[in-house]
Amino acid sequence: MDITFGQIILVTIWAFIIGIDQFNILLHIHRPIVTGLVVGLILGDLNTGLITGATLELVAMGMVPLAGAQPPNMVIGGIIGVSFAIISKLPPETAVAIAIPFAIAAQGCVTLIFTAFSPLMHTADRWAEEGRFDSIASLNYLGMACHGAFFALVTFLPLYFGAASAQSIVESVPAWILGGLGVAGGMMPAIGFAMLLKIMLKKEYVAFMLAGFILVTYFGISILGLAVLGACIALYDYYAKGGQEAPKKEVRHHGGI
Amino acid sequence: MAESEARRIDAEDYRDRTPNKVTTKNSLVSMVFRSLLLQASFNYERMQACGWLYGILPTLKKIHKDPEDLKASVKMHLEFFNTHPFLVNFIMGLIVAMEEGKENRNTIRAVKVATMGPLGGIGDALCWLTFLPITAGLGASMVLGAAEPNPAGPVLFLILFNIFHFALRFGLMRYGYNTGVKAIATMKEQTKRISHAASIIGLTVVGGLIASMIKLKVAWVITVGQATVPLQEKVFDAVMPNLLPLLYTLLMFYLMKKNYSPTKLIFLTILVGLAGKLIGIF
Repeated sequence: MDITFGQIILVTIWAFIIGIDQFNILLHIHRPIVTGLVVGLILGDLNTGLITGATLELVAMGMVPLAGAQPPNMVIGGIIGVSFAIISKLPPETAVAIAIPFAIAAQGCVTLIFTAFSPLMHTADRWAEEGRFDSIASLNYLGMACHGAFFALVTFLPLYFGAASAQSIVESVPAWILGGLGVAGGMMPAIGFAMLLKIMLKKEYVAFMLAGFILVTYFGISILGLAVLGACIALYDYYAKGGQEAPKKEVRHHGGI
Repeated sequence: MAESEARRIDAEDYRDRTPNKVTTKNSLVSMVFRSLLLQASFNYERMQACGWLYGILPTLKKIHKDPEDLKASVKMHLEFFNTHPFLVNFIMGLIVAMEEGKENRNTIRAVKVATMGPLGGIGDALCWLTFLPITAGLGASMVLGAAEPNPAGPVLFLILFNIFHFALRFGLMRYGYNTGVKAIATMKEQTKRISHAASIIGLTVVGGLIASMIKLKVAWVITVGQATVPLQEKVFDAVMPNLLPLLYTLLMFYLMKKNYSPTKLIFLTILVGLAGKLIGIF
């Protein structure tokens, strides 16, 4: 089936919208099952769109962002998979295989955006100092525009140039750049935690931080379980101590004896 | 020690400590809508912090008439924050009530940090691993199960999912706020003790987050004659799994105490990532 430029633009606009929805607002119109309906309507083959979308939905079901870890991007997988299932009359599984390099590229874009926005947080700190609060708020609009724009781009390339040549464009980016940014992105929460520690960590709390670290590292305890355990200790501490200044004095008395 | 600690707590008090109740039913609704942009400026360093601030900024402006107080509050809310994007409204209600009560900022921060981790875990299990598969599975089976694919499948999925989604958000926003308002009286008398208790939970959780959220593994394999030693498995994991994430956090903590700006640390991290990948350490 031939695809018109107008249809490419419409699918690209849909990619822009769901690129935003997957991180913000979260109406979940970005799920493949919905993309199947919408792209099917745009490209004039509703049945193929619906079936491919629903099949991809079952594939995507387990692939959700858990605890900040990004799975293969099924938003791009859905939109490219459904498009090529209709354009090239491919079965859903083959159509998804075409989408995989673009899902990886989209993942690279997401990593890039999440990395690039880290230094902006320090601009935000400075703006807070200067009282430019609305400028800080507008960083969020910039972020959404980036989310949408990158997904539109990654969708537009294969639809306009054809999957094969678009793939060579995507693959011309050196692997070590995307890989290196991915590694840096994985390390970066350390800076956020270090800032919290700088403010919150007093000597009496060091033991709790280490205990939390050890419980997760060696025993694989969930964060919820860990928090409940922390709450148990905090509750005991809260009620056992009674007043806040009194116990310190008591300790001193005991020390005197 | 006790004296310097008391001063520190005071420095985190608001200058204007008169409680200022500005929240109405409508403003809770508007905060729910603003919280939809929680992850708009998501980044690896502070994660949802700036989007979180976006949600409560208009409310903070109404609460804090003293410009210095507003500044201090905004800066505190720009610190690291990450939780589940639906369940965030519970924390939002709670924190807004505390801001209205002009709680000490150490207490507010500690409550934020103590609640974000567990709610993140509950949210993942409840929304992504339970409700999403159920509704999406229902929609997919309507499409695939019939002889002719049924376009009502995706539509039904969207309707069911979003009823759950927004019921959760609005319910939690109000529940969080009411919980906060009720707790304020106790908090006022017990500021220091509550801050202490929340810090215990908070730092236990931060310790766990360091182990679970920072991804740092080396792919380096040393060849000695015929023997190959994969550094990660044979050396670092043998000493302690997650050793590198812990060490890197402590390094960042140390450098920050040496007055390295976080911006420098970000570029250092990017440099380490790129160089490491190029020469094959990662």
